[in-house]
This record gives sequence, structure tokens and C-alpha cells, in this order.
Amino acid sequence: MSAPAAAPAAFGILDKSPKELRALGDARHLSLNDAEWAAVQAHFKGLKREPTLAEVETIAQTWSEHCKHKTFTSPIRLTEGKKTRVIKNLFEETIVAATAAVKKSWCLSVFEDNAGVVAFGKKWALAFKAETHNHPSALEPYGGAETGVGGVVRDVLGCGLGAKPVLNTDVFCFGRPDYAGPLPEGAHHPSRTLRGVVAGVRDYGNRMGIPTAGGGIWFDDDYRLNPLVFVGTVGIMPQWAVAKDVKSGDLIVAVGGRTGRDGLHGATFSSANLGADAPSSAVQIGHAINEKRVLDALLRARDKKLYRSVTDCGAGGFSSAVGELGASCGARVRLEAAPLKAADLSGWEIWLSESQERMVLAVPPKNLKALEAVFAAEGCELAVIGEFTNTGRLEVTHRDESVVGLDMKFLHKGLPRVERAATWSAPASSKASGGAEKKAPLVLREMVAHLNVCSREWVIRQYDHEVQGGTVIKPLQGVRHDGPGDACVIWPHAATGDMKDYAGFSVAHGLNPDYGRLDPYWMALACVDEALRNLTCVGADPARAALLDNFCWASPEDPRQLGALVRAAEGCRDAGKGYGAPFISGKDSLYNQSKDEKGRELPIPGTLLISALAPVPDARKAVSMDFKGPGDALYLIGRTNDELGGSLYHRLLGRAGGEVPKANPPCALDGFKSLHAAINRGLVLAAHDLSEGGLAVAAAEMGFSGEFGARLDLDELARDPRIYSNETLLFSESPSRILIEVKPEHESAFLRHFGKGAKAACVRRVGQTTANPILKVVGLDGSTVLEESLKELKEAWQKTLPAVLR
Amino acid sequence: MSVRAMPVATHLIEVRLRPEFADAEGAAALQLLQAQGLNSIKEARVSRLYRIQGPITANQVQQAAKDLLCDPVTQEHRVVAPVPAPLNGMNFWRVEVWLKPTVTDPVGETVRDAIADMGLPRPDQARCAFVYRLAGRANKPALEKAVARCLANPLIHDAVVSEAHP
Repeated sequence: MSAPAAAPAAFGILDKSPKELRALGDARHLSLNDAEWAAVQAHFKGLKREPTLAEVETIAQTWSEHCKHKTFTSPIRLTEGKKTRVIKNLFEETIVAATAAVKKSWCLSVFEDNAGVVAFGKKWALAFKAETHNHPSALEPYGGAETGVGGVVRDVLGCGLGAKPVLNTDVFCFGRPDYAGPLPEGAHHPSRTLRGVVAGVRDYGNRMGIPTAGGGIWFDDDYRLNPLVFVGTVGIMPQWAVAKDVKSGDLIVAVGGRTGRDGLHGATFSSANLGADAPSSAVQIGHAINEKRVLDALLRARDKKLYRSVTDCGAGGFSSAVGELGASCGARVRLEAAPLKAADLSGWEIWLSESQERMVLAVPPKNLKALEAVFAAEGCELAVIGEFTNTGRLEVTHRDESVVGLDMKFLHKGLPRVERAATWSAPASSKASGGAEKKAPLVLREMVAHLNVCSREWVIRQYDHEVQGGTVIKPLQGVRHDGPGDACVIWPHAATGDMKDYAGFSVAHGLNPDYGRLDPYWMALACVDEALRNLTCVGADPARAALLDNFCWASPEDPRQLGALVRAAEGCRDAGKGYGAPFISGKDSLYNQSKDEKGRELPIPGTLLISALAPVPDARKAVSMDFKGPGDALYLIGRTNDELGGSLYHRLLGRAGGEVPKANPPCALDGFKSLHAAINRGLVLAAHDLSEGGLAVAAAEMGFSGEFGARLDLDELARDPRIYSNETLLFSESPSRILIEVKPEHESAFLRHFGKGAKAACVRRVGQTTANPILKVVGLDGSTVLEESLKELKEAWQKTLPAVLR
Repeated sequence: MSVRAMPVATHLIEVRLRPEFADAEGAAALQLLQAQGLNSIKEARVSRLYRIQGPITANQVQQAAKDLLCDPVTQEHRVVAPVPAPLNGMNFWRVEVWLKPTVTDPVGETVRDAIADMGLPRPDQARCAFVYRLAGRANKPALEKAVARCLANPLIHDAVVSEAHP
């Protein structure tokens, strides 16, 4: 029997005033607010003792925005004009409510584990998670991005009993790389951030042997101080491995990297605005080879059923991982047993360190020897650091000194919920104003060369998107493998060994903060719509799509910011219900604002990334976006409205306001399902979604990727009859539209999938492909409004990014 | 019984591309420095510098450098003196970018394990730095500022700028 632990070293808070506690919190980067300090104080007053430093740090980590998502789960008083209403729990009332409403039996685990899990066939399941690593990437782009990838890979590895990662994704928001304005002292130039982040994602994914095959980049100068780095991973696992469980008596086993001083305060760091006093210890450098060892050993141990539960050491390190696993029972930890990088680490540092590549397992004692053998064979360290108990308490010691003695109930349920105020007022006028008209050909040339449209080949070519041999539809498409794909299609069965199973899956994204500047509600619907139509374009089943939400916002302390966030979350709720697509996981990253060179707060535009995952029933039937030949019919699904608010067209013209694109989910879903059925029957040669730049940009991209031309007649578009402008028809960004190439002999069979009446009204033959690589567009009055060489458009499209990064 | 302690030595090994090969990393670094206004820098070459500490002899380090750290077809290696070389006033600069001691060095950790895998004594520590060898006129403060903006991040790196032999 071990000797009783010595009295803990006290960290005096009981006699301190709120002001003194605030100062204490600031000095230690604890990010606790006054109400939370009061709750901590009251708890320890009740215990009639001072807390230890490690206890306060543990509480701060556990209660951080990063871990508890306080904004999304606390009450919000929303004022809209003269009306006020209280939202008790934004997360439950929007994201969870949408998932509950659509009731999909193929959702195997939602909002519970480190990732969302959906069924993939009868035997397999896909785990999907997207994370952000914004604050670390702003400070150290390379290290921040690569540890972001490492973290999300571990999320999937620590989901259920572990899934094998088969795809990585990356979506970034940066300031323009050619930004020439001033920056505050110490801030990285956006060009440096971009290079570092891309290198970090590249090195971690490539070294772990995971294909990075899906993503996107959005440029806007309001991200110059707060870049957004979204990284995602899809993993595959047998369905029996989805459930996990911890039993008292199980050993707490730490595997993977050693614990060091690196990465302290990462979780609390995410609950504060980014400033010059950010702790350097919050930044780390990843070790992909170590994580690969953990991955290989863990999956072998999973298949031998050697452990009962697993989670990753993410933000908060051991404190979060052990706290989460032992939340329902209790845990006793001896920190001196943890393998260390440096011998002089104190107890609280070991407990809270966020050193990378570590995971924690719950292991029945009888399996320990076999588990040690598996990890030894991979050269991966393993240490028993304690055991799970049935006391309902978290007890941590270091060299016989008590470091933490907390009640699990207080730790996980004691966070006080503070009501926040939010306001939302709709934009005063929807009428567009400002800017000067430009000729359509000039606009198109500027559009393809625009940073938010131009080729991402400079980035994509740095990633290994072929490793594991399952990338069926690749990120770059067309006859020269350089066209912009809508989504990737992955066949994951090289990993499972089911070589005769041709089912694959696709991942796509939707993001457009410019719509959010006008109305975050419609931005959310547009993002879901974009992700689903991208999936549909490559042959994935839109009726089986599962969604991830990633909100990146400025400070929720600002009622207007919080009001916009509520509006976006309500958009997600309605989109999820309308498209019948459940949210299965997600994350929020708040406080994305910093002081600019003049000391003014620079918030990012409210940003929502929707990531969608759907099965492709037969990956051999997947479709790419490039034109396949001359003389084929071109069909456009969806109706074109005068929806240029937040569009690229308005941005180029310097025009403000206008109608933001408004999705109509039931109608859109009908079109997507019909197209999916047609693709499944092999009736579609190419499909490409209309997004930034509308019809003109989509047709140009399909043309120059396939090296065939197209002739379009704008009078044939299904459209709002009040539109009389060719430019509106060419550049409107009305959602739910897809341009499709169909062989003439398949036209009638193709159309049969769209039925009759209203459903069919939104599918129109709008032109045909031609042998000559020219994009020719005939306007409403029969005159030619556009006749552009696709070769020249492609050159303009390709040269932008390399030119600004020179 | 007496135990004879092995001396703990520090060895610095630089591995560089042979001069006859084009240096893409160097070209990229040159472009970044010139974008910071250092147009008088005309050439940059990049090499790796390994600092290996522990009970390992100079001959054993040479063996590790030859068989593990260096690709003999395209690269060459040399032992670097821990004391800086005297200046020659010919406008050549040497920039070493090390990860701070508190930051994990995955390359260093892998090198340490790999040396042990070769059957040599396991070093206590191995760290890896980037070395930029620059040719061209510059003044030291301007170069240090440019390095901090494009080649090193002061948050995690220690950068040492010195005049050097070509």
C-alpha cells in the first residue's frame, strides 16, 4: 500500500478580490472570467482549503472555451430590433436539434467522441473531424499547422477504439500574400503565414503517409493578423470499434511522445484575443514519425482488443485526456511514471503539458504485457501512469505529493453559465450601390485571375495526395491534371483489404465569409449547399451526406459578433433540416481578433466552414469536372436569380450591398438527388458547381481543364424573369446550380431523372461543347457578350498565385 | 570497482550540397531575403548543421556523418569548429537557425535514435539547424532583421548571424 500523499502546495485564492484574481489569471494565462473565479473560490471555501496550482490550472483548462465551448452552451439574450428572446443553449437548439430532427440511422456516433462516425457499408464506419489551429498558426505558421494536422489525426485515432486515417483535408483563410499595408510589430506577413502553414500541413501529412486531397483557400485582408487554419481527417474503422468504455481498475496507459515543457496553456490560450503577450510555450513543433509509430501500434492493439478505451492528449494534455476518460468513474494518476523530455518538470507542468503525439488508453491489467509487446515492436514508448477508480474523484500525485484532488462532478459540471447579450439587425438596404460597370470579357479575365478563384496548384502539388493508392478523383483534374476539382473521391479499401468493395467516399467544403458580411444566416445555408453540390458533382450521394460545422468568429463579448454567430448557427439548423443532412461533429474557434498597427481591434469576418462527407456507391462511376469532348449537350441545374450580394462580381466592381444568395433546400436537394441518380447510371460526362464567379467562371474552368470550348445561350437559363442583364446571368452566385456535360445520345435518359413539372423546370439545356477552345456566350438579345480564348483564361488563372508568392 | 566515465563531447557536423548542384532551397531563401530589400545578397546556399553531444568519439561522429547524415552522391560533410572562424571581410555571411532549447527538435531526436541504431553510442542529445551561407554586401543589423522576418521565427528559433568564409 502506498504512503498517503503529502499536503499539496497551496495556491492562495480564497482571500483574493475579483480584481486580484483577474490579475492572477492574466499573469498565468488562465482565461477564467469573474464568475468562473467566483465558482472556483466558492468550491474551495466549501472544502476549507486553498487549491493547488495544478488544480486551478486543471479547472482553467477544463473550463476553457476550447474544451467546454462556453459560448455555444451558455444562455444568450438575443435582441433583434424590438424583439428579445433567450436561447438557453445555442449548440443544443441549433446543431444538435438539426441532427435530432433528421434522424439518420447511419449516424453511429455524434457529438460524443473525438470525431463524428457514420456507417460505411455494413462492416465499416468512417470517422470525420475538422479542427482549427488558428492562434498557434498565427504565431508560428509551420509548427502551428503541422501540430494542427497531428491533433486532428489523433482525434480520429482516438475516436471509438481508433480509426485508420485515410484522408487529410485543409482549408485556409489568409490575408492577401501581396498585402502591402502596415502590420503591427511581431505579426507575420500573410505571405510568410501561407508558406509556413502549407509547409506544415505538407510535412506532417506526407510523413505520416496520409493523402491530403481536399480543401481550399480564401483570401481577405481581414485575416492578415488572424489566419484561419482548418485541418480535417477521415478515418476508417470496423463498426465493432465505434463504442468504447472505461471500467474502474483499468490501467491508465500513456503512449507515444514524451512529456516536455512545450505546449503549456494551449487550451486557455484559445479563450483569449491574440496579442503580443501570447505565451511562446503555446507553440510546438510536431514529430510526424512518432505519431506514425503510435498509429501503427495502436491499430494493431485495437485489432487484438487489448484496450477498452482511448483518447488523445490534445489541449490540456493529461488533464483533459484522463479527465475525459475518467469522467464517469474517477482516476488516480502518478505523474512520476510519465516518460519525460526533461527531468526538472514540476507536477503541474507534466499534468498540463500539451507535448504532441501522446495518447491515453484504458487497459485491463491482464492485457498490459501483450500491449507492451505491440508498442515495443513499433519502437513506441508506453507507461502506466495510474488507474481508473470508482471514487468519482480525480487524484493526481507527483513524487508522493498531492497535485490534484478534485471532484469530477465539479470539474465537469461546475462551470457557471453566464448569460451573454447578443444583437442582430438585418442590413438596412439590399440594393447594390457603388462601383462602375465593366465589360463582361474584362470581368471574366479578372475573375479567373482573382486570388479566390485562381489555381491552387502551387499548394496542392506540395501534398502527397496519392499515398495509400486510393485517390480516385484527385484535387487537380482534366487532360493535363491541373483543373480545379470540386471534391476528391477516396477508395479506402486498400486499408481494409476488401478489394472487391468498390464503394468510396467524398469530402467537400463550403465557405464564403463575404455572404456572411451581409447575412450570416444565408451564408450558413449557402455553405451547406456548396458542400453538398460539390459532393454531388463527383458522384457522392447527397442524401447520405454528414456535416461538420467549424465556426471561427471574433470575440463573443461583442454583442454584434455574438448576434451574427447566433444567426449563422440558426442557418446551420435550418440547412441541416432542409437538406436532411445531420451534423456529426464540429468545433468553434472564437476570439479571432487582434490589435492592428494603430491599436484598433481587427476582427476576422465571421467564418463558417461546412465540411461534408458522403459515400460514393461505386467509385468507378465517379465524375470529374473537365469537358470530355466536342458536341456534347450542356445542362444547367438550378435557377439563376439576381443574387450578386457578396459575390465576386461585386467585389471586383467595388460594389456594396445587393441580395445575398438564398438557398432553397428542398428544391436544391431534389436537383442534387436527380443528378446523383443520373451519374450513377453513367449518363453524365462532367459536372462542376457554380460558385464564385457564377456560370462564366464554371464554364471557363470546365473548358480549359478539358481543352474543349463551349457555346452558351443565356436566354435558355432557368431564371428570374425580372433579370434583363447578361452580366447578372453570367456572374450571379445563386446557389444549388451545377453545369453538366451529357452525350447527345444520353440526353433523354438524363432528363428522365428530373421528372416533370416544377422539378424539371430548373434543368435546362443551355449550350454545347465545341472543339475550338473558345468560350462563347450569347446574350439575351442574341448578340455575343463574351468570346474568350480558354488558353488565355487558363494562363491568367494559373499565374496569379506563383506571381504573388515570388 | 571503479567506473571510468566517458567524456561528454560536443560535435558539430555540417552537411551541404556539393557546389556543382543547383540549390533550390538556397534559391528560395535568396528570393525571400531579396523580398525583404536585401538585393545586394547575390547567392544563398543552404546546409544542415547537426550538434551531437554525448559519449561519442570524433571518429564515431565522422562515421555517422558519412553513413547516416550525408548522401555521398550529392552532398559533402565537414566537422565545424565550435569557435567561429576569423572574419575575412569578403562579404560572406553565415546564418545559423536553431530551434530554441525548449522546443522539440524532431530531426535531432530521429538522428539520435538513428545513431544508436547504427550500433554507435547513443548521444545524449542531437539538435539540427539550418545554415544559410550568403554571398553579397549587407550590414549585420539589416540582415538580422530580414532573417527574423523570413528565415527564422524569434518565438521558436535562435538565429546567429556572423561574417564568414565563403
